[in-house]
Amino acid sequence: MSDQRPDSLTGLRIADFDVDGALRETLDRVPCETRSRFLRRAARTGAAIVGAAAVRPAAAAASATASDDAILNFALTLEYLQAAFYTEAERLGALHGALAEQAHVVGMHERAHVKEFKAVLGSTAINEPSFDFHGVTANPKAFRATAVAFEDLAVAAYKEQAPKLESRAYLAAALAIHSVEARHAAWIRRLAGFLPAAKAFDDPLSDRKVVDIVNSTHFVTIDVPSTSARTAPRFTG
Amino acid sequence: MTRFSSRIATELGSGATLIRERARVRPEGQPEQLQQEDAAVRMSRAGLFGRAAAVLAALGGAAVGAAQLEASTDSQRSPARDRQIFALGLLIERLQAAFYAEALKAGHLTGEAHQFATTVGSQEQAHVAYLTAAAGSRAGKSPTFHFGDATTSQSKFLATAIKIESTGLAAYNGQAVNLTPSGLAAAARLVSVEARHLAWARAIAGKLPAPVAVDVPLTAGQATKVLQQFVA
Repeated sequence: MSDQRPDSLTGLRIADFDVDGALRETLDRVPCETRSRFLRRAARTGAAIVGAAAVRPAAAAASATASDDAILNFALTLEYLQAAFYTEAERLGALHGALAEQAHVVGMHERAHVKEFKAVLGSTAINEPSFDFHGVTANPKAFRATAVAFEDLAVAAYKEQAPKLESRAYLAAALAIHSVEARHAAWIRRLAGFLPAAKAFDDPLSDRKVVDIVNSTHFVTIDVPSTSARTAPRFTG
Repeated sequence: MTRFSSRIATELGSGATLIRERARVRPEGQPEQLQQEDAAVRMSRAGLFGRAAAVLAALGGAAVGAAQLEASTDSQRSPARDRQIFALGLLIERLQAAFYAEALKAGHLTGEAHQFATTVGSQEQAHVAYLTAAAGSRAGKSPTFHFGDATTSQSKFLATAIKIESTGLAAYNGQAVNLTPSGLAAAARLVSVEARHLAWARAIAGKLPAPVAVDVPLTAGQATKVLQQFVA
């Protein structure tokens, strides 16, 4: 079974978004008969994980709408990540005072952003990935440092993607959220003892770099369907 | 996680440390009642055009066509239009730079508010230089500004900073949809910094830095109505 086949659900090939081979490596461990199911699932969830929804001219369809949808799905991916992060932090209750307030309010915003993007994208919205925050959400200092990184990352990501949008309605929405993410960034930076605005100009980050950074956290997991073990068994067939 | 944070810091640049007043920790439990930002004034387009044109004419310098500055999904994007929009941005930045300079001179700011005015003021000056170049022939001369009693106390300063930064941010968000992609890429680099300024000022004043999930844009007319009160 070739994993170079276009996936019928997203029109993307695994190779198009398997930026560091992690997906391929996982795929190699999955028993053959579940591969097609895994591929379909991974293509949707995996697209979120490795940022396939980021605009890649070779994979995206020619139409402006598909390109815009890919960009919004990329934004949705980051919002899923942030929303899950803040939601879990609030649920675990390890934060107090000003930090707890930030997590509560900003979490509400990120959840609202998720809802908005899903409403706009409708059936083309990617599914929410699975996350494992490795204890960060239970540790105030680690939470704070990670929140600073997330918010600055979101600002840079939106800034890169916004000029690529074809639809002005989508652009207006993206800009209205981009500035809120910047306010979030200033907020949490101040709580962490950093200058809320460190420089006169903020720079964009390419989708490749954003994906790379998100992947490096290992916060996003692929749910391998054939096993509940931590690591997938080697294929021995 | 330290690795992730330091990776981001490397990519995006972490900042110098912040002077903090004694930490204002909220009591645990109920967060502050969420406040809406000042809602955009709802005015008829015809009224806005007429008024905006008059205000912009009075400001001199930036020869902007008010009719063309309405955020409109039908309007043509072009480098010439970009320059008009940058001219409005330039007005905002000149106003802000002048405000912070005057506030510092007035000498009533201490601690974090003083650091805010110093840091943000120099960033606004960088924005002025940037947009002066971007606006090209539309840059014109800076108007003269007056801030009344806004710089006579720290609390008045903060309230005015919030108003000015909020209006500027909303104006940028309103106009940015009309920029060309390269114009937008250029503007976006400073728009998020304006948002940081606003959040910072609000935080110093004891308000939620970001009270709502989505920032409401303003039209050029709505923005100039607020800004005109500071023009001499």
